[in-house]
Amino acid sequence: MFVRFTKAVFVISAAFSAFSWGQNALPRTPQGKPNLQGIWKAQSRAAYDLQDHASKDDMPAGKGVVEGGAIPYQPWAAAKKLENFANRKTADPLGKCYFPGVPRIMYLDFPFQIFQTADHIAMTFEWSQVYRVIYTSGKPPLHDGFAFWMGDSRGHWEGETLVVEVKGHNDKTWFDHAGDFHSEALKLTERYRLLDADTMQYQVTFDDSKVFTRPWQITLLLSRQKNMDRLLEYQCQAEAEEASGAFERDDRTWYPEAGMKPNAAILPTNPMPAPAALAPVKTDVKTAASLRRTADGKPDLAGYYQSDGGGANYGLEQHVKDFLTPPGRGVVIEPADGSLPYQPWARAERIERELPQRGYDDPTAHCLVAGVPRSMYVPSPLQILQTPTHIVMLFERMSWRIIPLVNPLANRAHLPDHVRLWQGDSIGHWEGDTLVVDTTNLNGKTWLNEVGDVLSHSEHVVERFTPVSPQKIMYRATVTDPIVYTRPWTIEVPLNREAEELLEVACHEDNGDLQHLKDVRDEYRKQHPQNSTGKK
Amino acid sequence: MSTLKKIAALVFFLVATAFAHHSFTAEFDDKKPVKLTGKVTEMKWSNPHSWIYMDVETNGKVVNWALETGAANALIRRGWKRDSLPAGTVLLVDGWQARNGSPTANVGSITFADGRKLFAGSSNEAAPAK
Repeated sequence: MFVRFTKAVFVISAAFSAFSWGQNALPRTPQGKPNLQGIWKAQSRAAYDLQDHASKDDMPAGKGVVEGGAIPYQPWAAAKKLENFANRKTADPLGKCYFPGVPRIMYLDFPFQIFQTADHIAMTFEWSQVYRVIYTSGKPPLHDGFAFWMGDSRGHWEGETLVVEVKGHNDKTWFDHAGDFHSEALKLTERYRLLDADTMQYQVTFDDSKVFTRPWQITLLLSRQKNMDRLLEYQCQAEAEEASGAFERDDRTWYPEAGMKPNAAILPTNPMPAPAALAPVKTDVKTAASLRRTADGKPDLAGYYQSDGGGANYGLEQHVKDFLTPPGRGVVIEPADGSLPYQPWARAERIERELPQRGYDDPTAHCLVAGVPRSMYVPSPLQILQTPTHIVMLFERMSWRIIPLVNPLANRAHLPDHVRLWQGDSIGHWEGDTLVVDTTNLNGKTWLNEVGDVLSHSEHVVERFTPVSPQKIMYRATVTDPIVYTRPWTIEVPLNREAEELLEVACHEDNGDLQHLKDVRDEYRKQHPQNSTGKK
Repeated sequence: MSTLKKIAALVFFLVATAFAHHSFTAEFDDKKPVKLTGKVTEMKWSNPHSWIYMDVETNGKVVNWALETGAANALIRRGWKRDSLPAGTVLLVDGWQARNGSPTANVGSITFADGRKLFAGSSNEAAPAK
């Protein structure tokens, strides 16, 4: 009865919020707050220079967004800003693909998507898959005293305006390419207000008594991106390293881009058998009754999780400890013997990747995105947000997955084949209490773990998230990859709920290991000039 | 908790739970074990690995070693503050040197000046039982 009642309320409120999308009314959430959800982008030249500026070779002219026209710098800081401007081509932290910080991320020329629940606003950005989580529940920060690239955001509603206080900034970010800067004492107050269904006013007050003579403010507009139905990716550091040669293409596994042919030496398994039927994850009536549910009756997966990865990040098959590589219990449940059904070339590649000269080739050693399914079992927490239309996964190692929930009968198509992404293109639907996610369009650049279990661009993943208790999701991923394997295989890893919110991992910004791995690789190549790639 | 006890607990945690993002076996050399005694000059709070910098005197020459440990976030979650491992703390560190020969090591164990040893095995993810 209660379920039926809440369902009815949901249908009515959904109808109401659809109705409130009328010409003059603002979209609203079931709680009656302005509904900020959607894909947005700033229409402004603020990312080049917050103040009025003429054009230069690396920045188009633009009208300023600072109220009163000028940023009120203290004299020493005004001089520092001029120095930053003169050195901007090498000194701008964004040029090194470091986190842009707040508010700069908000007005970069990249779209972002807002997801809104009763106690969070999450913002996922196309730029390097950065995200922000803004708590609107009154939850206090748990880590005062530490500084973060993206700061710490806590929000509340003042009437129709979302007000966000951002503190805990480090002093390494700039506000724009012109070198406008701040200290760790910076406190921001952001104000988000819908002017109409497709236009949001974004206002920021800057308070930093170490750098400015008084608080000052900017105002600009964000526009709904009506021509976009989903965010794609721009991985700043990956693109920079691929362009410079620091991260090298592998023709056997990477997607052949325009003008490239597939590696003729490797024949895909053809035909690829269908995935084997597996015994379902054990749940019963008691389990179903114990789960927290959303208004639409689905299991409420929202929360923080940490995988019990069982050493999967150091080998999916069962393995013993090897020097500093931890042991693993083996997470492959199909084939039943726990081994991965490699093609011979791929098994040889897997063995070679474990050699010291190949450690540099693991994309996560470069702090690049872990991919699917590795993102789910790296030893680092994740947060799941759930709305009636989306499951959003935020990984502490700063990347995200956005999974639209689509009726499987609606037959929503994946992206065009040549659009390849680090986290792929995911579509989800519910089968009873199990969330089923279908992911394609992967780029073949990721490894399955540090020892190099192999994937290619022919990877197709079907994941199943089954809550088996209020505290645990049983996670299964079935991978079909005919370039690398002779048949599909499946892993199983529990995801356990955690109490603590996510923090920030500035992996690329603080990467102290990559040069050491590069030295080992370069030394190997010097000793083996006939084998100059260090790969085969 | 006394400061020394706090530091002891911190260091135990550092060694026990390094959340790797790259192959330690590829970066460090099992044929180059090192034993280093010195004074902490800086604790760098970073992810996925924090670093302890320590001045080590060998044959009259002082070299600043970089010692790789666990993730800052795991420590922050346990309430550690920026100044939890003060400069000047004397430590004895067992570990393995980087293969490239730089004064960099992966921490295997840490001993305090008073002799308490906090051995915690590999500084990498422990694999829980199924």
